[in-house]
Parts: sequence; structure tokens; C-alpha cells
Amino acid sequence: MRNPQPESPVLSVGGRLPGADSGAPLTRLFESLRPDLVRFAQWLARDRAIAEDIVQESLLRAWRSREALKDASAARPWLLTIVRREHARLYERKRLELVPLDEVAETHAGPVSVDTEDDLFALRHAIMRLPLEYREPLVLQVLGGFSTEEIAQELSLSASAVLTRLFRARNKLRVICGLSGAPDVSDGGGAA
Amino acid sequence: MNCEHARLLIGAEPRSSAPELAQHLQTCAACAQFREEMLALEANIERALQQPPQAAVQRGAGSRLRSAPRQPWRPWALAASVLFASVAVLTLWLLRPTDTLAHDVVAHVQAEPESWLGQQVSAQEIGHALNGAGVALDVTSDKITYAQSCWFRGHYVPHLVVQTAQGPATVLILRHEQVKGPRNFHEAGMNGVIVPAQPGSIAVLTHGGNADLVARQMQQDVRALPESQ
Repeated sequence: MRNPQPESPVLSVGGRLPGADSGAPLTRLFESLRPDLVRFAQWLARDRAIAEDIVQESLLRAWRSREALKDASAARPWLLTIVRREHARLYERKRLELVPLDEVAETHAGPVSVDTEDDLFALRHAIMRLPLEYREPLVLQVLGGFSTEEIAQELSLSASAVLTRLFRARNKLRVICGLSGAPDVSDGGGAA
Repeated sequence: MNCEHARLLIGAEPRSSAPELAQHLQTCAACAQFREEMLALEANIERALQQPPQAAVQRGAGSRLRSAPRQPWRPWALAASVLFASVAVLTLWLLRPTDTLAHDVVAHVQAEPESWLGQQVSAQEIGHALNGAGVALDVTSDKITYAQSCWFRGHYVPHLVVQTAQGPATVLILRHEQVKGPRNFHEAGMNGVIVPAQPGSIAVLTHGGNADLVARQMQQDVRALPESQ
């Protein structure tokens, strides 16, 4: 008995969705969302190659559980959630220390205002250097379009804990951008 | 709503239109100012996140170089540094001991002792392990008792255990690792061999079995999936 051919289109190393069904609507939908997913994964993992691997694995998982996707318009948040979980799985499994850009960011230390491309660059590095506990909800909210309640559910936190993390993330960025930091707030609690 | 709560909400959701917040902002100039600043910051955060982080580095690094005072020797120094680094990396790569790869293979297998205890895996699990690395395998699936997609040296690789007449043999399909010829090794009580394959290489480990035989069979059975269709 030979192994059967894969039942579904799968991702090759090149990161495309090949296969007999490459023209299928769902495959096209996944492909169209791929750049968004890679960018999202990159902001989480801070490494292009790892982000590509995360997205590849995520799309495979998504394809295998495609029956769960009832509404194509919900595909983007659904896939973003899978990418986040895949990143978390990898992070927990390997305890990755991925801070490849700290040295570069060091050269931009000090208050700046965000008026030029260079300053936007500094802001990107400031976001990159946020601890994951602050960066993750911020990226989920701004890039992913998730509400506070959705983020809380995804991260297994209370809504007030998410609000606190989002506040602290932006407060850190305020300071880096030369604005005065607002007084910190009390912890909004932990796990939901 | 007091100022602390208002600022928490503004910091967390700058575009919030909660009625309580709107009411507070009408009576508190300081919080209204805080919100204006946070909305401006938010616009920049959105712009910042629209670009992938590493692309941002390249652009930013480039713009910093452009704004730095011009030094006539810098291009030559940069070119020399790049050349030196390239030669050093190439030399190290050529001289690197293949034992390192063998050692990593053994360490990986030792870290997954349960792999030797598998009974049977489904064709779907095998397909998942293989497809994640962009390879297919023409082999009877009932002989495979373990199939996982494992993170190894920066890539997901298929980790299989194949039952042979002489016992189980671990197979790692290393699409991204090149070897020039077969390399036999013996480590941690296991016999192993790494052989070239299309694509990359294949590592086989056994406890007393004939790793070479399994490796030769695998060389014939593994094939790369096309990267795009």
C-alpha cells in the first residue's frame, strides 16, 4: 500500500498553496491573506524566517480544520488567531529568544517625535522592543482589528487586564516619542 | 468616570467612543489633551505596523546611512568588511564538522524517546509531517509508527520511525541540510548515517539495525513536492 496523496492542497516550502485545488475559492482566500498573516507573525516573532514557518504551519492547520470556517468573511480573524496560537506554541516549546534588532534600536535611544521616516523607524523599533505581553495585544488590536473582549478571550485574560496591557504598551511608546508618560494604572487582574 | 479611568481607557482604546468617556472629556481639558496626543500617536503606530519589522530595519538603516556624514573611506571599509565576513563564513562553513549535524540528529532523537514506542500512525498524520517540509514519501504507511513535523535547525522537518526487520529506525528528512556523501556515525548507543538526497539529506538512526540499508531505501522513496503549481 502506498501512502495516499495528501487529501488537500498543502503548503510547499516556497510558501504557496499548490495542488489540484489551487483555484478553489478557499485556497485563493488563504493565499490572498498570506501577506497579512506573515506581517502579523513577523511582529510577534520578530524574525522573517520564523514568521514564514509559523504561517505555513498555521495554514496547514487551518486547511485541516476548514470545516470550522462557516463564513468566509471571518477568515482573516480566524487565521490570525491560528497564527497567534502557533506562535505561542512555538514560543512555549522552544523558549525562543528572538531579539535580533536590539542593537540597532539602541542607536535610536532618546526622545524623538514621530515626524519623519527615521522617527517612524524608531517607533517601529520601540514596538519591536516591547515585551511580548504588551506587544501581542497591541498587534492583535491594531493589525488584527480585535476588540478588547476578543483579545481577552484569546489570551485567557480578563478584559481589564487587557486594557491595562494596552495602556502600558502605548504609555511606553509615548515616552519613547518624547511625550510625558501617564501615571501607571493598577493591574487589571490576570487570567480570566 | 475619574481621570485615572479615563486615561486607562484612552491609552487602551484611543478611538473609544464610550459615552462616559465623551462626557468626561467635555469637562476635563487635561484628559482631552491626553486623548489628542494619543490619537496622534495611534496614527503613527498604525503606520509603523503596516510595514513588516525587518523591512523597516533595512529602510531605517539605509536612511541613517544616508544622513550620516560622508566619509570617503567608508565604502571601501564596508566592502572589505563584507568580503572578509563572506570569506570567514564560507571557510567556517566548508570546515564545519559534519559531526555537528550528526550530534544534533542524535540529540533530537534522544529528546523524543516516545518516538520509539509508537504503534501506528494514520496516513493523514504522515501526510502532515511530510507536507510541512514540502516532501512526499513512497513507502508503505503501515510500516511507519511515528510521524511528526519537528523544529530542527531552523526548519520543520519530518521525523519518522519506520519498522524494519531489524527493529525500528528513525528517519529525519533534512531538506535544508546538504552533505557531499554518506556519513556514518555511532553515538549514544545508536548507529546512524546521513546520506545525500533530493532534496537535502536524510538521517537514519537505529539501535543495532542496518541504517545504511534503510537510508538507501529512503533515498529512493523521498521526493520533493513542487514549490508552486
